Amino acid sequence: MDKPPGAEGRQVSRRNLLKSAVSASSVTLIPLATSSCSTPIQPSGLVISAEARVILETFVDRIIPADDNGPGALDAGVVLYINNALANWNSNETDMLVEGLFNLARASRRRYDKEFSLLPAANKDALLRDMEDGKIEGFANSAQVFNRLHRLTLEGMFSDPYYGGNQDYAGWDLIGYPGAVMSSTPDMQRMGSRLPPLHTSAYGSDYDGD
Amino acid sequence: MAINLPETDVVVVGLGAAGGVAVLPLTRAGLNVIGLEAGTWMNPGTDYHADEIHNNVRALVTTGNKVAGEIPTVRRSPTETAVQQARHPMMNAVGGTSIHYHAQSWRLNPWDFRARSATIERYGAAYLPEDTTLEDWPVSYADMETYYDNVEYEVGVSGVAGNIQGRINPEGNIFEGPRRRDYPMPPLRSCDFLDHMLEAGRSVGYHPYHGPAAINSQPYDGRPGCQYHGYCDRGGCHVRAKNSTDVSTIPKALATGNLTVTDNANVRRIESDNTGKVTGVTYIRDGEEYFQPARAVLLGCYTYENIRLLLLSRSRFYPNGLGNNRGQVGRHYFGHWDIQGGTLVTALFPFDINIWYGAIAQGVMVDDWADDNFDHGGMGFIGGSSLHVYTEKHPIGAAAMGTFGKVERRWGSAWKDFIKINAGRTQTAYIQTNTFPYEHTWADLDPNVRDPFGDPVLRITNGPKRNEPMAAAHAADKMEAWFRAAGATDIVNTGGGAGPNLSTHAHGGTRMGLDASTSVCDPWGFSFEARNLGLIGGSVMPTAGARNPTQTLQALAWRTAQHLVEDWNGITA
Repeated sequence: MDKPPGAEGRQVSRRNLLKSAVSASSVTLIPLATSSCSTPIQPSGLVISAEARVILETFVDRIIPADDNGPGALDAGVVLYINNALANWNSNETDMLVEGLFNLARASRRRYDKEFSLLPAANKDALLRDMEDGKIEGFANSAQVFNRLHRLTLEGMFSDPYYGGNQDYAGWDLIGYPGAVMSSTPDMQRMGSRLPPLHTSAYGSDYDGD
Repeated sequence: MAINLPETDVVVVGLGAAGGVAVLPLTRAGLNVIGLEAGTWMNPGTDYHADEIHNNVRALVTTGNKVAGEIPTVRRSPTETAVQQARHPMMNAVGGTSIHYHAQSWRLNPWDFRARSATIERYGAAYLPEDTTLEDWPVSYADMETYYDNVEYEVGVSGVAGNIQGRINPEGNIFEGPRRRDYPMPPLRSCDFLDHMLEAGRSVGYHPYHGPAAINSQPYDGRPGCQYHGYCDRGGCHVRAKNSTDVSTIPKALATGNLTVTDNANVRRIESDNTGKVTGVTYIRDGEEYFQPARAVLLGCYTYENIRLLLLSRSRFYPNGLGNNRGQVGRHYFGHWDIQGGTLVTALFPFDINIWYGAIAQGVMVDDWADDNFDHGGMGFIGGSSLHVYTEKHPIGAAAMGTFGKVERRWGSAWKDFIKINAGRTQTAYIQTNTFPYEHTWADLDPNVRDPFGDPVLRITNGPKRNEPMAAAHAADKMEAWFRAAGATDIVNTGGGAGPNLSTHAHGGTRMGLDASTSVCDPWGFSFEARNLGLIGGSVMPTAGARNPTQTLQALAWRTAQHLVEDWNGITA
C-alpha cells in the first residue's frame, strides 16, 4: 500500500509511545521514533518531552473524556496522533504549543498549588475554560493554543487510524461514520437511522491500528 | 541565456480546466500544440485517497509547487498593506484544479450574459449597483450554446435537462436557456436525503432539480461511473469518474499526435516584438531557461496567474504589461461573492440524514432566487443566489460542527453527547451569488512580496460591496425556509457574508468585451492589442453567475481555440 506524501502514520506506533513514557517529572527529550519493529523509522520523530506529554494527555482527556458514550481521546491514541503531527506536518507549531502546555501547567500550580494532571476534573475544566476564553494571566496566547490543541485533538480522534489516533475506530463509532470505502451503495445513503459500523481504513487492514 | 526551441503553431500555457479543453479543437484541426504545465501528471491509483487528513486538512492533492510560491496578497482598501494569504486555492498538475474541484458543471443562464441591459430594461439604470463597471458579455447564451454542448459531450457531463429547444421539463432547471439536446448522461444517483429535500423544496413552491456534474453517472468514454465514496472535494477521483481534463480532453488531444505536454514548466514571460505581436514564451524547467517560439499563444492559467503574467511581460511595445496599453489588465477582477466568503445556512435535523458518502456534486439545486428569476422591484439589489444541498461529509468536519447553542463548550462530556447524536444530522447549504465588477476591486502587482524568482506576486484589492451581500442574505432566508420545510429544528444563518479574500472562483482581470478601452480581450478572447494572444479561463468572464464557473470557461476556451483555427491566417499574420 502506498503512503500518501507527508503521512507518518506508522512512524511512531502506539505501543512504542507507551513504552517510551517515563515519569512526569522527567524533562529529557524522548526519542519517540525508537522502535523494535522491522519497519524503517525516519529519524524525525523527536517531539515533546515527557513532562509536556503528561500535560497534553490531561488536556485531550478533558476535551474528549471517556464516559458512558465510549472511549475518550486518551484511549483512542490522540496523543500519538498529535506527537506524529508535531514531528512532521505541524512541526512549525511545536514550540508554540509546548510552551502553551507549560503555561497551562504553571497556571495550575499558581492557582491550585498542584500539577494540572493531578487536579480534580472540575478544576481542570475551570482552567481550560479560562484558557479557551483567554483569561489566564501571563498566558497571552492561551486561546490560540487552546484552539490549535482542540483542533489537533479532533483531528486525532476522527481521522483515519492510519495516522495513529481513532484507535479501534473509537472516534468514528462515536459519531456514526461507518468507515472509509472505495465505493458506497445506495443503502449506505439511506436516511433515518444510524448506519452499521464498517471499521475500515483508507489504507487497508494493515493500518487499522495496533 | 535561454535555449531556443523550434517554433510551434500554438503554445497553451497551463493545462488545467481551460487549457486542457482548448488543446482538443486545436489539435483536431491539425495544429501543432505545445502545452506548458507547471505541475505534472497525477496518478489516480496512488495519489488519491479516501482520507480527510490527506485531502482536506493537509491539502496534499491540491498543493502545487508553483502556486505555493506565488500566493497573492489581499487588502480590503487601497490604504491598507496587503497581506499574503496562507494557501493558494488552486493546484498545479496536468488537469489543474479540475482534478480536485467539485465538478458541478453548469451553463450560465441567458440573463447572465446581459445582466446590465436586462436590469436597465426591467428596473431602470438607477437600479444598477453603485460603482459597478458591469457590462453585458460580448457573447450571448445563444452564441455559447454550441460550445456548451461540445464540452458536455467531450468532457462528459451528467444532468437532467430543463429546457430542450424550448420544451420545459419540470424535473430539470426550468430557468435554464434552451439546449439543443439532452445531457450525454443522466444525473448522478439520488438518495433519501436529496429526495427528501426535493419534496420539501416543491412544498414551498421552489423548483428543485438534480444539479449537473462533470462526473460520470454511468460508464462514459471508456471510464467507469461515480463510486460515491465521499472524498471528491479536494481529492482526485480514484476511478477516473470525475472528468478532469487530464482524463478527458487531454488524452483525446494526445491521441491526435499533435499535442506535446511539457510538464514542470514554469512560464515566466510571454515575449512580444516591436509590432506588438507575441513571439512565444520563456519558461524554466529543471533550472534551465527555454524560449519556445509560437505563431500564437493561448494563456490558460488560473485568473491570478493570467493577470500576473501579462503584467510581468513588459516590453518596449508594452511598457505596463502585455496587452495593457489601455490600463485594463487587472481591472474588473472579482472573487465570486460566497465562495470562501461565507453565506452559511446550516441546519440541524431531528433524524440521521447520513450524507457521509456521495459527492458534493450529488445534490439538489434551486434557482428560484438566482439571477433575475424573481421580481427585484423595491429590493435594492440585482442578481441573487443559487441554493445547493448535497452529500459528502467527512468525520473531522462533522465532529467540528457548530453546536446551535445547545452545549456551552465544544468539548467535554456534554459536547461529546451532542456530537454523538447530531454529527450525522446536519448540513450546510452551498450558496453562490451573482457577482459583478466594481471600480474599487482590482488586481495589480504587489510592491513588497515576491515569488522565488524575485517577481512580484499579485495583489488583490477587495473593496466593500453592497449589492452582493444583500442578494446573498435574501437567498439565505429562502434557504432557511427550505430547510424548515424539510423538518430542520435548528438553523444558523450567517446572512450576507464578508466576501472572499482569495477565491477558487476568481473572475475577470482580463475581461472580454466590445470596447478596447474597458476590456482586455475581444469577443473571441483575443487581446485587443496583441492579436495573436488568446486569453482563456475565468479571467475573461465579465460577470459571475450564481453557480460554479468551470463549464462556462471551458466553453469559452473551446470557442477561442476554434476561432484561432478558423481565423488562423488573420490572427497569426
